[in-house]
Amino acid sequence: MARVLVVDDAAFMRKMVSDALAKGGHEVIGQAGNGLEAIEQFRDLRPDLMTLDITMPEKDGLEALRDVMEIDPGARVIMCSALGQESKVLESIKLGAKDFVVKPFKPDRVIEAVAKALA
Amino acid sequence: MTQDEAIIRLAETTAAALSELLEMFAPGQVSVGEVGIVGSDQDPLEDVRAPAVATSVSYVDGVTGGNVFVITKEGARRLAAAMMGAEPAEPEPDQPVELDEMELSAISEAMNQMMASAAGATTSVLGTEVEISVPETRSFATPDEALGAYERAPHATRVAFSVCGEPARFVQLLPNAFIVRMTSALDELGAEYTAGDDGPAGESSETPSLSGIPVRVWAELGRARLPGAEVVTLPTGAVVELDRQADEPVELYVNGKAFATGRLMVVNGTDWAVRIETVFNVPSST
Repeated sequence: MARVLVVDDAAFMRKMVSDALAKGGHEVIGQAGNGLEAIEQFRDLRPDLMTLDITMPEKDGLEALRDVMEIDPGARVIMCSALGQESKVLESIKLGAKDFVVKPFKPDRVIEAVAKALA
Repeated sequence: MTQDEAIIRLAETTAAALSELLEMFAPGQVSVGEVGIVGSDQDPLEDVRAPAVATSVSYVDGVTGGNVFVITKEGARRLAAAMMGAEPAEPEPDQPVELDEMELSAISEAMNQMMASAAGATTSVLGTEVEISVPETRSFATPDEALGAYERAPHATRVAFSVCGEPARFVQLLPNAFIVRMTSALDELGAEYTAGDDGPAGESSETPSLSGIPVRVWAELGRARLPGAEVVTLPTGAVVELDRQADEPVELYVNGKAFATGRLMVVNGTDWAVRIETVFNVPSST
């Protein structure tokens, strides 16, 4: 079981991701709706794992990922975005993300990504 | 290719990307209707059914342009229910449909995912990465409210949809620069590869009678050359380096012939796919 921070600008997606995580036996300890909130909450909560959307207001997910990896180079982050372009996937992985889940996804895909990231 | 043909082609490609995504949310409940160009004297949201919700997402970076998806509130409610894996509750007779925060968020997320997929399709045609903005959602109580809601653009297209039994409309607002780039990009693609083109008559295509024959298509990530002795002794866990960099395009083969190059991408969350970047010249004699 992991303590997870869920980041997405859409309340609907936060719910979908949270439901999938709960199904996989994980605990959602925080939710954030943009990159700035995400960094703040990451600092406060120090989650085991974080899911991160890319297209978000204030600060997008790739910028947030860069900041989070600076705060904690060991951070486990799974990108969760509708932008499936290879350049986004490569950039995320280069920045240190553990996995990339393209929306729309099935709950099992999230659970599987989390299991892999924690392994 | 004329400007109008390019605009229609763009609308059709985008509509196909949208419909594919909507199908995932609401299987069997999505159909695409008429695709048309909005006249310069028309409002793109003219005669839209209300009460409705509209979500807009802009293309930024690669090209600029507006995209608006309008659906009746009842349609939005049913689509949101489908996305949450729930049966929509029976509508209260004589009660106006109201959407809660979660339903509005679901519609806005649907638009985000649809436009991300459409941006992917546009990226592959233009050859430049197209980025999308955060979606904005608003409601219209009456058809009149929708008129003038979005800034006019030099060109606009509209596509009729039916989603969960309710009417919806997709509108693209296109600045001139977008059209110019789109037209020349499509011309280049057309010049490179005309076989299978369903474009205007006059462009010769010699393959119609063969078009139904299935062909084997595969993608090649890279190659390596190793001494035979090394190959037969490769242990589990050994790493074989290929001759291609991770950020280079992969090659697509059709029945053994290199046919195109493209980029690997992930679709449906789990499946590999290749987005075509360059199509090689196909000799017209074969």
